[in-house]
Parts: sequence; structure tokens; C-alpha cells
Amino acid sequence: MTTDIRALLLVPPAAELPEGKALPISPALLDVAGATPLQRMAERLTRQSANAAIALVSANAFPQSCAVAPENLEYRLASPRQFWRAAEDVFDEMVQAGAEQILVMSLGQYAEVDIDGLVRFHLERKGQVTQVSHGADVLDIFCVSGSRRNDAAVLFRSRLAEDRGHCQFFHHDGYVRPLATARDLRQFAIDILTLKTETQPAFEQIRPGVWAGPDALIEKGARVLAPAFIGAFAKVRAGAVITRCSAIEHHAEIDCGTVVENSTVLPYSCVGAGLDLAHSVVGTGRIDNLRRNVIAEIADPKLIHYVSPASFGRLRRSAFDFVTYLPRQAWRGLFGTSQPQPVRQEPQPRPASPAGPAREMEPSAEFPANLAVVRRYGHQ
Amino acid sequence: MDTNSRPVVVKRMPARVDARTAREFLRDVQPFLTIDRPQLVFDLSQVVRLDAAGVEMLLHCMSQAHRRDGDLKLASLSAQSAVVLELTRTERLFEIYDSCTDAIRSFSGFLPNAMRLQLLDRRHPPTATAA
Repeated sequence: MTTDIRALLLVPPAAELPEGKALPISPALLDVAGATPLQRMAERLTRQSANAAIALVSANAFPQSCAVAPENLEYRLASPRQFWRAAEDVFDEMVQAGAEQILVMSLGQYAEVDIDGLVRFHLERKGQVTQVSHGADVLDIFCVSGSRRNDAAVLFRSRLAEDRGHCQFFHHDGYVRPLATARDLRQFAIDILTLKTETQPAFEQIRPGVWAGPDALIEKGARVLAPAFIGAFAKVRAGAVITRCSAIEHHAEIDCGTVVENSTVLPYSCVGAGLDLAHSVVGTGRIDNLRRNVIAEIADPKLIHYVSPASFGRLRRSAFDFVTYLPRQAWRGLFGTSQPQPVRQEPQPRPASPAGPAREMEPSAEFPANLAVVRRYGHQ
Repeated sequence: MDTNSRPVVVKRMPARVDARTAREFLRDVQPFLTIDRPQLVFDLSQVVRLDAAGVEMLLHCMSQAHRRDGDLKLASLSAQSAVVLELTRTERLFEIYDSCTDAIRSFSGFLPNAMRLQLLDRRHPPTATAA
């Protein structure tokens, strides 16, 4: 007889993530090499012994713009104020549905825990609550017996910080990556692309170390160096270079001649032409530069802009651009202001040098007075 | 992973790569660049001096190979050549491997551990890695 194991995946309110460096959207819901950490975790659970999984997502953590419903799990939205109360309700609902062991996981980190081993440990020890530990730290991953509703209630009411004192610890020494900041997100992408994790980039390799999703467009003349990821419907325009573990997520666009080095471009974000983007996470209207450790809000659409996640919106915008192209060019030709010409400055008389009276420049016999001198640098 | 049966050409670059030697080297490798889907590896282990003409030659070879749907990879970079490539910000345009063997194998399969990657997170390495 098999045990009914179910999983409750929690994406807590954004306010509970560390301040300052936190992304406006929970990283658990942002695509990393083709799938969100939430999707990856759900896939991992259902591949192992969990019969079903429910994701409880705080409404303010849910990205309306990047909304891609996880396919292999049921998800529920909860208001931030009622989040932990809703978690308790979902737990009760799972118990009512016959769950014997419930895995409670907060997506504040991505950990490749041996789920079968955790449940076996929990059953062998006849524990009420088992928490996963990693080195000296404890992770927000628990296995709770379905019959222990009070233990679960204490856990949820304390926001996974406290238990009733009879918690056991299951040691995990595999992969763990915190998911709070843009740096964590980037490092997670690097780990996936360099195959340090069990989870793999979504989609097939089009050549060694380069993964591309369906309908990804890599124009001729663009260069994609392994390891790299190009998401579904993403566009890499001619002359662009994607290098060093960069991940261009779905529907993102890299315009002509732009170099993307060790960076993540989040879904529906477009990077303008001729730019040099390095060590950054781009999306949600800002650039997180990880080397300089700064966040720059970008409003100029020539640098970064955002395309509508709704296909109708994209179509409408394309149609509008197409129809109005010629009238705009004509308007610009008739009424547009020309490039401002530099104002010619009349030469001012130079003040007398303290070293003595200024000498008049004598036209050299060797060089004419109107000779322009250009200094050449390097190998030119 | 599909196996790649096309030949990989390995060329060792001279110790000094200036305008003259770069031209000579380019003349040597030109036949391999003009074939369909060329696969080249340049061994830079002997290079002690690399100037802008050498870097330009590398970029020229890379674009030639890329135009024919092939690739040029670099292997066994000497310290001097690594410095120059980094200085000119061209090292990110090439896949760079520790040895020629790894570079050759990389044409048929992805070898993340053999690649020279200058990534960000030295201060925050992954806490543990799965096997």
C-alpha cells in the first residue's frame, strides 16, 4: 500500500522577501532558462513520490506581466494579508482529500531535496514534523503528517519560523540556491546552464551548450556562444552576441549589434540596438547590474522596453507601427526639426599668459596653416 | 547528443603574432576557413606576444567561420594572450577551453567544466552541487 503524499508550495508575499535587493516580482515566478523555479520544483515533486501539488501564490508576488500558469500543478492566489491563513486552509483541504504526508515548501530557495528520502526518514522516525537542514542552516521545507493539523497550524501561524518543539531534521547535502535577489536569479541560471543542477534548461540543445525554445529566432549574423539559452519566441537580431551563460527568456528581444554577456533578459523585455549588457538582470523596467551592485530604472524605450504579454496587444502595436510608418516619415520630413548645428563661436582674444605676451602663430613653411591633424591610436 | 563526424582542424599560433605573422598565419588557415561549416581550434599556448593585428586576425577568422555556419574556438591560452584578449574585450566572443582536446570534444558535446568562464559569483558559490 502506498502513502498518499501531496505537496504545498508557498510563494509568500513580496514584502516578506529581503528588502533593498529584492526583485519586484518573486524570483520563484520568474523564468530561469525556460521554466520558473516553481515549475521546476513542481515537476521535481511530481516526478518523485508526490501525488499532487498545489501552489499557493501571494497575489502581490504574482507577475501579471509574466503570467504563465504552471501546467503541472494547481495554483491558488491568496491576498498577502490572508496568505498564511489560506495556507492553513489548503493544508486542511489536502487532509480532507486523503493526504497522509504533506510536503510544505516555501519557494524562498530552490533545493534539490531527495523527496523520497525525506518521506522515508519522516515515516521511519514516526515524526510529526520533519524539517530539512543544510549544513548549519535550516530550509523552509517540511514534511508534516496529515494527522498533525495543530502542528501545521503552529507552523503556518509563525510563518514557518516555529514548530511545537518536536521537529526532527533531515540533512540535505545537495544543491541549494536562495531565491531572493537578482544575483540569486542570475546565479541560478548559471548553475542550470553549466549543468550543476539536476534540473536542466527547458527545450533541446540546437548545438552543444546552446538551448533554444520553439519559434526562437536567431537571425543570420547573430552569434550565440555556449552555454546560452534562448527562450520560446525570443528574437536575437543580426549582429547581436549572446555569451557566457546568458539567458534570453521567452518573448524577449535583443536588437542588432547588442552584446549580452553573463546576463538574464526576463520575459517580454527588449534590449535596444548597439548596447553592451554585462553581468545584469534586465526586466520589469530596470537593470540590476550585479558587478556594480546597482539598480537602474530605465524609461527610455531605445534602451529597454517591454512588450505586451497579450498577443492581441503585440499584434495591435505591430499593426499600428506598420500603418503609421509612412505618415510618420512624411511628417518628420516636413515638420521635423533638423539636427541642431553647432553654434560657431567667434574666437575670443586669449588672455595674456603670465609667462609673457602671447606669441602670434607663424604659418610654418613646412605645413600649410589649414592642415588638419588627426592623431592615430593603436594599430590604426 | 548527435555525434559530429566533420573534421576539426587544430592550428598552433606562433609565439609572436604581429601584423606580418598574422598575415602569414591567415594565409595558412585560409583553406580551412573556406570549406563548408569549418570547425577550427587555435592553440594559443605558445603565444607570448599578441598585438592588435593578431586580435583582428582572430576576429576575421571567427567571422569567416561563422559566415559558413562553422565556428572557431580557442584553446590553451597563454597568460599573455589571455590578458590581451581580455583587454580588448574580445575573449567573450570566443569559446575558450583549457586544452585542445576539450575544444575538439566541445564540437560534439557540451563541456561546461572545461570552459573558461569568467562569471560573477565568486563570493557566493553554490552551497553544494549535485553530482
